[in-house]
Amino acid sequence: MRLRDLPIALVARTPARVQTKLLAAFLAMVVLLVALGAVGLRLLSGVNQQTEGLIKLQRKIAAYRQVQHDTTGQLYAVASALLSPNERTLEGVLRQLAQFGYDLDRLQFVAKDEIELLVEVRKEYDRFIEIVRRVVELARSGHAAEARQVQQAEAGPLADRLERLTNELVNLAEADMVAGIEASEQAYARSTWIVIGFALGSIVLALGLGYVISWSVIEPVAEIEGRLRRIAGGDFTQRARVVNRDELGSLAAGVNRMCEELGRLYEQLEAASRHKSEFLANTSHELRTPLNAILGYTELIQDGIYGEVPERIRAVLDRVQGSGRHLLGLINDVLDLSKIEAGRLVLSTNDYAVPAVVHTVVTATEALAAEKGLDLRIEIAEPLPLAHGDERRITQVLLNLVGNAIKFTEEGEIVIRVETTDDGFHIAVEDTGPGIALPDQKRIFEEFRQVDSSSTRRKGGTGLGLAIAKRIVELHGGRIWVESALGRGATFHLVLPRQAVAQRLAA
Amino acid sequence: MKRRILVVEDQEDNRAILRDLLTHAGFEVLEALTGEEGVRMAEVLRPDLVLMDIQLPAVDGYEATRRIKAQPSLRAIPIIAVTSYALSGDELKAEAAGCDGYVTKPFSPRRLLAIVRGYLEGAG
Repeated sequence: MRLRDLPIALVARTPARVQTKLLAAFLAMVVLLVALGAVGLRLLSGVNQQTEGLIKLQRKIAAYRQVQHDTTGQLYAVASALLSPNERTLEGVLRQLAQFGYDLDRLQFVAKDEIELLVEVRKEYDRFIEIVRRVVELARSGHAAEARQVQQAEAGPLADRLERLTNELVNLAEADMVAGIEASEQAYARSTWIVIGFALGSIVLALGLGYVISWSVIEPVAEIEGRLRRIAGGDFTQRARVVNRDELGSLAAGVNRMCEELGRLYEQLEAASRHKSEFLANTSHELRTPLNAILGYTELIQDGIYGEVPERIRAVLDRVQGSGRHLLGLINDVLDLSKIEAGRLVLSTNDYAVPAVVHTVVTATEALAAEKGLDLRIEIAEPLPLAHGDERRITQVLLNLVGNAIKFTEEGEIVIRVETTDDGFHIAVEDTGPGIALPDQKRIFEEFRQVDSSSTRRKGGTGLGLAIAKRIVELHGGRIWVESALGRGATFHLVLPRQAVAQRLAA
Repeated sequence: MKRRILVVEDQEDNRAILRDLLTHAGFEVLEALTGEEGVRMAEVLRPDLVLMDIQLPAVDGYEATRRIKAQPSLRAIPIIAVTSYALSGDELKAEAAGCDGYVTKPFSPRRLLAIVRGYLEGAG
């Protein structure tokens, strides 16, 4: 068993109906599709989460930058307020302080992981706000020089420190972002491979399933089909080998049972037919033995071996001889046909001259033709090559054709024509008799058929002659047929191959 | 001297016809009922011709012919096979067994006589 056959045999041997197997295969494919979908969805939501994380990081970075910007803005505002301290500019500084507080709240909301750093930033900012307030208070109360001093000595360095801290925060967030992008790229590549792998796996599995299932069906069907063809051809010897344990398995078993039964019946039929043929052959042989004695003794009496025969008795003896010969003809025909049907007629082939056969036939029949006042003519296109076949059987066929022509023709002539054709010899026996109607032209070559049964009685003969002639000609690999029309005579054609090919007759 | 013809034939009727026919024609007729008897009589009596039936019990006509033809001193005796209405191929089998001629049953006594005379005259 080839490797490919293993899964097929496995599926075939599974004791389930074909329908169930197909359903299981389709279900398996559906499950694969669903699984593929689920994996895809999961990967998609993973990618989505990554994207959301990146967006959050981006927001955080923006918030840090805002804080940084605010710090610088604050310093600048305080510095410019101190250059020309009046109520309007100082109010602006205090408003900016409030905005600062809001930005810091937002920072708290956004950042969770860098808590430590943030706490420090918050503390520094609180201090920064405190210092700026003091500077503003000092400026309001007219102590400008003192305010400038506080600003330079305390607010300036604090602002630098704050800027450094926020920078650190931004850097941290940016590093997170870069890491996040990288991770998301990797995740995407992984997802791609997972989806492709899963899809490829599904395709291979689906194709494999389809292949295995369909072959587990096709193979037994082909096997059964082949077996049925052989059964139709008459071969009952072999069995359909199907391993399936499903409907196809039981179909094959049914076909095998039918084949066995048919084979048995065929054998019985053949045996019966053989017995019939053997019985006929034996019977006709047994019948001929006493007939031989009757005909022999008649001839001896006619020849005066037992004394002078009076004229009256001589006429009776002629009738005895005539009837005896007729009976002999009947028996011979039955024997011939039964031998042909039993497949026991074997041609004994030799080289022979067709004209010699024609002359033999004419010699045997010319007296009969002359008696009825018929012309018997021969037209032979000489020179003819030698033929190869069973000369005695071909003589028998031609004798039958010419004998029939004489029998059925009341006036006119009978012509025997012989010529060569591309593939052998063509012999035609033409008469000027009553002719044969079209529907009868095929039937007359069947057993026990003459145009009508009354003519059998009237003209004598068994009605087997043409059937036997046809079989003999076919055994030679030749053909025989008739061309005729009612009232316009009949022509029997005989085509024989130059070399008789031993043919087995189809039963 | 009368020519002697050995008839090997198991059926009484056929033997009687041949006896009457050949005796009337002026031959001396010797009769054997089986193949073995035929061979023995051929050896002892040296007939001028043998009419050999083919369908004989035990040793058939082919075998009897082979045994006679196997003996150099008898080889020259013409043997004519008399068979049943020809099963095709009998002719060839008869020839292979060494028969000189071949007549199918039912035979016409007239024609058989002509054949027998032909062989004896041909042989001198």
